[in-house]
Amino acid sequence: MIRMVNVSALLQVALPNAARPAVVAVGIIYFAVVLGISVWAARRTRTAADFFVAGKGIGLVALSVASVSVSVSGFAFIGGPGFIYAVGLGAMYIVLPAAVTNVMGAWVLAKRMRLLGEARALITIPDAIGARYRSRGAQGLSAVAILVGIVGYMATNALAMGVVINSIFGVGLGWGIWIGMGVTLAYSASGGILAGIYNDVFQGTLMAVASVLVFLFVLKFGGGLGEISRTILAHDPTFLGPWGKLTPLAALSFFFVFSMGSLGQPQAVHKYYMLRDPLQLKWYPLLKTLGLVLVLLLYFGVGVGVKAFVLSGRLAPLASPDQATPALLLNVTPIILAALVFSGVAAATMSAANSFINIGAAIVTHDLPVAFGRRVKNELRWGRAVTVLIAIAAAITAQRSGTMVAFLGIFGWGLFASTLVPALAVGLNWQGATRAGAIASIATGLMVTLALETAAYRKVFTFPAGVTASAVAMVSSFLVFFIVSWLTRRTAQAEIDPDVKLVMEL
Amino acid sequence: MTGPLVRTAPTGEDATRRAALIALFIGIAAIAAGYAAAFSRLGTPVWAAWLLALGIPIALGAIMVLGAARGRRGIGQLKVPFAFVVVVLVIGFGAALALPATEGPLSTLWLGLPARAAIVIYGVGLLPIVVLPIAYALTFETQTLSAKDVERVRALARENQAAAENATREPKDNQHPR
Repeated sequence: MIRMVNVSALLQVALPNAARPAVVAVGIIYFAVVLGISVWAARRTRTAADFFVAGKGIGLVALSVASVSVSVSGFAFIGGPGFIYAVGLGAMYIVLPAAVTNVMGAWVLAKRMRLLGEARALITIPDAIGARYRSRGAQGLSAVAILVGIVGYMATNALAMGVVINSIFGVGLGWGIWIGMGVTLAYSASGGILAGIYNDVFQGTLMAVASVLVFLFVLKFGGGLGEISRTILAHDPTFLGPWGKLTPLAALSFFFVFSMGSLGQPQAVHKYYMLRDPLQLKWYPLLKTLGLVLVLLLYFGVGVGVKAFVLSGRLAPLASPDQATPALLLNVTPIILAALVFSGVAAATMSAANSFINIGAAIVTHDLPVAFGRRVKNELRWGRAVTVLIAIAAAITAQRSGTMVAFLGIFGWGLFASTLVPALAVGLNWQGATRAGAIASIATGLMVTLALETAAYRKVFTFPAGVTASAVAMVSSFLVFFIVSWLTRRTAQAEIDPDVKLVMEL
Repeated sequence: MTGPLVRTAPTGEDATRRAALIALFIGIAAIAAGYAAAFSRLGTPVWAAWLLALGIPIALGAIMVLGAARGRRGIGQLKVPFAFVVVVLVIGFGAALALPATEGPLSTLWLGLPARAAIVIYGVGLLPIVVLPIAYALTFETQTLSAKDVERVRALARENQAAAENATREPKDNQHPR
């Protein structure tokens, strides 16, 4: 849920060199476990369904932990605490939606996506859009939108991986990128999403353990949350105001984009297809929400704690807000805790990269050919080949200008939200939605996001404080979806196949 | 159920979904108006944030109702947790906007945070967790999905698959009569 800002924040961090024996040792153990899981998963991957949706055979706990893992990026560990350190509690509006997003996704999407998978053997999100509107055009356009978002995410995650691996092993940024992408590629191409899921389980567990331990350490070191608050209130009371140093509009904008927008994030929505038994959805929102809360404890704890420690003189002033986590880990906490967190950050970036590689490969080998009325004969073989190509392209792009790569990553969340939420989340629950409405909405989200983000990047245009391109694009896409569906409402019922209608009515 | 503006008399199901769609549209329109107001040459008016503070809970509540509404039962018992969460969000955002900024060294702390921050962090960020996922699990069989539902979908899928196989077999049989 917190990827939009992830990379720009993580990329601008020159993480300090953490290459101490304990950090390197934990890093090596981490990579060894990842490779072990990958070898095991590769032996179980025999078909395209295994490769793209794990043969619809993932259990509840594994899916919940994996879903937490792909929902949280390195931003939660590095950039996020730095953001809190800089602007106070206003930064919490990025993560507060986690209280509602998982169960909202379960009510709005999980059941219908999983049952569509049952009825039609669907394996991708554009598949679901194509089936809902009986439209290859809608399927193809949504595939293009997702692919555009993935290009940015992949490059930024590759660069983020390079930053973290360089920090752990001191190998240099270029080698860090290739090592990180190489390991991710090894398990993505061999074991597909099956390797991804079980690595996500391991990585998510690692992230949760690291987060809880650091949070508890901060509370103990600071004398409890009350003492930490007292220290901050004595020096900088605005920091602990309900909006921090943001305007109310900016904070609420974060809440809107990261709550409603969560319904369009392919890396999370795609997971609904994979659950072995649809009836296991019962406990999925609870488990995932609890997991997310654990992983996000570090975000809050370090951001607030480091602010108090710096204000009270227990920690030297930071060179930049993004140094909040590294400064705490390398100067205050036991080194083993630092080792766990650095491996946790590597885990977060790798799980994200794997998930996007897999979704991108499915789009290229499955959705785009289907949109043109064709089928790839051996989707598994081509899926593996495209996985390799995407990873290499991402690593090469990541070697380019950091500013350019950060720009590519910033619009990913907003692009997914504005192109997919109305057509998919509302469309699967409203029989009055039409094909024309869906296509117009996806096209609007794509065009508005790209136009506004590019204009902002080139400094052609500046938004008023609190207004973001993502929010404007999502609102525009919603309004277009409603208006066009209403104008073309006579065609609505005729565009729904009986099995899809049954899934929508249950 | 052809849209929010159909003219036929709504059934129970239609009424719930129609109300949810109208609420969703209103919520999104309120958010859009809040953003539009921010472009004013005179600066962002105070009420722009209020539009988001009201529009966001309405839109989120509406889309959850839309997803949970089911047949003639509508949302059944879920109306209580949904209403609770919408109210919690409105009160949380509203309190943060309306209460005076009194944070200082002598502020009373609530579970370690000053009052307005505690309302947002614990109210908006934690209370829904206690209510919504539990409500989802407790009403799962009746409101979301039962084994019977899954079997209905699987049966229809089997029928469709058999029909598709027959359709592909028949032309071949015609081409190669025994």
